[in-house]
Amino acid sequence: MASPSVMTPIKRRDGLFSTRFAGGRAPLTPSPQTPKQQNFVLDKDESIHRGNLFPRFSRSISKTNVRDSPKSNIARHVSNNSPRRLELGVSDWNLTGTGPSASNKATPSRTRNLKTVKTGKTKISYTSADRFIPSRSNSDAITNSGVNKIEKKEHSRSKSSAESVLASAASASSAFDLGRRSTHDDDIDAALGLDGLNLDDDEDDKTYNKPSPKTAAYQNEIAKACDISLGQRILAFKPAAPESSRPIDLRSQYNRPLKPTAAATQFRRRVATAPERVLDAPGLVDDYYLNLLDWSSGNQVAIGLERSVYVWSAESGEVNSLLECPADTYIASVKWSQDGAYVAAGLGTGEVQIWDVEEGSKLRSMFGHDTRVGVMGWNKHLLSTGARSGLVYNHDVRIAQHKVAELVSHTGEVCGLEWRPDGAQLATGGNDNLVSIWDARSLNAPKFQKTNHKAAVKALAWCPWQSNLLATGGGSHDRMIHFWNTTSGARTNSIDTGSQVTSLKWSTSYKELVSSSGFPDNSLSIWSYPTLVKNVEIPAHESRVLHSCLSPDGQMLATAAADESLKFWKVFEKKAGASAAGASGVASAKASLTKTTTIR
Amino acid sequence: MPPAKKESKDKEKNTHKLALKGSSKTVTEFFEYCINTILFQRGVYPPEDFTAVKKYGLNMLVSQDDQVKAYIKKIMSQLNKWMLKSKISKLIIVITSKETGEPVERWQFDVQIFGKDSKKKSSSKAADENAASTTEQAPEKSEQDVQQEIQSIFRQITASVTFLPMLDGNCTFNVLVYADQDSEVPLEWGDSDAKDIQDAEKVQLRSFSTNNHKVDTLVSYRLAE
Repeated sequence: MASPSVMTPIKRRDGLFSTRFAGGRAPLTPSPQTPKQQNFVLDKDESIHRGNLFPRFSRSISKTNVRDSPKSNIARHVSNNSPRRLELGVSDWNLTGTGPSASNKATPSRTRNLKTVKTGKTKISYTSADRFIPSRSNSDAITNSGVNKIEKKEHSRSKSSAESVLASAASASSAFDLGRRSTHDDDIDAALGLDGLNLDDDEDDKTYNKPSPKTAAYQNEIAKACDISLGQRILAFKPAAPESSRPIDLRSQYNRPLKPTAAATQFRRRVATAPERVLDAPGLVDDYYLNLLDWSSGNQVAIGLERSVYVWSAESGEVNSLLECPADTYIASVKWSQDGAYVAAGLGTGEVQIWDVEEGSKLRSMFGHDTRVGVMGWNKHLLSTGARSGLVYNHDVRIAQHKVAELVSHTGEVCGLEWRPDGAQLATGGNDNLVSIWDARSLNAPKFQKTNHKAAVKALAWCPWQSNLLATGGGSHDRMIHFWNTTSGARTNSIDTGSQVTSLKWSTSYKELVSSSGFPDNSLSIWSYPTLVKNVEIPAHESRVLHSCLSPDGQMLATAAADESLKFWKVFEKKAGASAAGASGVASAKASLTKTTTIR
Repeated sequence: MPPAKKESKDKEKNTHKLALKGSSKTVTEFFEYCINTILFQRGVYPPEDFTAVKKYGLNMLVSQDDQVKAYIKKIMSQLNKWMLKSKISKLIIVITSKETGEPVERWQFDVQIFGKDSKKKSSSKAADENAASTTEQAPEKSEQDVQQEIQSIFRQITASVTFLPMLDGNCTFNVLVYADQDSEVPLEWGDSDAKDIQDAEKVQLRSFSTNNHKVDTLVSYRLAE
């Protein structure tokens, strides 16, 4: 019996490995006492594991950097004589070099050891060249041989294409998952080392071109362990899946009603994106602060072009010039009275004229402003006028002393003014970026003043189905539409439109509103409320859309733009037969109004 | 079909080929609806992108988005080619989180091809006979039976949303296949890892079989933390 001593490595194993085998298997620290044959140069046919190489190993190692372990004798003892050796081999990974005398005797049981070591995944039949008993305290030797074998394995792997699957499996770092799961890291090392044992027979030193049948068997086992079968590839369809148009909340999806909601159908309704009709509007003043277009309840459109106001009848298509103002001024605003019988015209001088359209005659002039009147709004017999000075006057048009109130809040030109349909509140917007909301009963001070907009506020619109909801749109530095609860003063919603908001109109039949925009889009956008989803965007004009107004039936929108054209859009077309419940009241009211006006 | 099989090997192959074609079509069609259903049910795409189509006696939701349609079509045409040559053993739909890129849900469809077994094992006579007998054992399945089986799978997939964890809606998907080593691989397909989910919970769903194929369904998902 040779007496191999058990060693404990005191250096890292790769360090050991590199010093020993780097440089083409040069002898390691040959000591004067070491005979020449003890060099670690392997002959072609010689395995490092064969025969009494190991004692040599240990001797030379112990002289260099391995100290003798006191445990060595115990390990030796157990491994040789006791039946417990088997367990030990499994659990402790002791590796003991064996002399020639021991090797033959111990072969059968060691084979069993090795099998257990591989957690039963591999069937390796060791015929003659069985040389190791794994031993943890003796791991230096196995480390050496193990590392060596890893290298060999890699070597063979690179050469043999048949192993590519295994290689990929290994690179996917799943190859040894199983081992990792069942035992621990040391064991993997050992497994690697033992894997090496497969390859390490004499033939391996000669050629790695072909994996031995054992190797193949081993790979099969590994592959099976990793749940992939050889001769199979996992392929992925490489192009990325198309992006989803929006993030999905599964909660709402699972709670979806069986029938698509009204909102969904509204979303899907078709909107004609081509104008129904285009008229020329020569001389339309390209000024954001003016309000030169209005559509009456009597289905007539009034438009102010330079110094004249023209009335276009939507029914007959006739155009009449209603008035012409003095040469030193121009029309700054036009507004139909609610019954569609009168037109108020605000002039650049601050004068406000009221005209009877049927007669074609001026009823009265109202003075008071000394700056241009860019915006007006009717509330029955009351006419509110907003001027460049920032002042808003209320005029009772029936009485001689027409000025009944002065609304002071704006410091910039008032360019937006809108009465709530029931006349209870008034909203004004100005070039001072301010939105003022007034209570009709107390006009000394605004009920709310909103400073959220960052540019002039021209676009104001009261929601037809929710009386305390106001939408306001800001100019080109703001581009926002804000929604206000005018009872509480709270801002309930906002949209960033991406361009100057020049006007806003709510649909009377859909839960939608349309905004017209100036720079940079010059388009019309239809938004769903309250989802604020943009349903459609119509590229409407070549230059900024200045004014818009809705037809009395709520289906058509007229827009006037700086490109001096007046276009009509069927943006809120009603479904044939089905008139929305909310709109019918308004529509019938409008219809009756129309009737009275025609009779008259 | 079964008696013809025993008469001559040549004939057996022929009948196999014809039957295989129809069966492959059934299976690929099944996959197509599976992908659509999973994309809808798991909220990979918004619900309004989908419309209902009558299929398997159910209202199947199919994407109407042109890009998604084209994407699935591309996958399907290649899959069909592979199926016809019996190159596929698994199809996997992986739902991955857009943020982390990690797979969060993995739908695995294992395909067994009965005809292939006999081909593979034809070296040993016993195995060949075995394979023949398995196909014989399974009685000729009517179209309706197959449809019924598929229907119940889809019912299960739909029902599975009740136990699958909530996805955050910010997900995308990948399609993987396990193909034979010798399959022709077009440029758009490349090797991949299995995209397994670590510590996944797995639920085996129903399976269906035609005369030539058996498809098992398994969903694995990450347990909510």
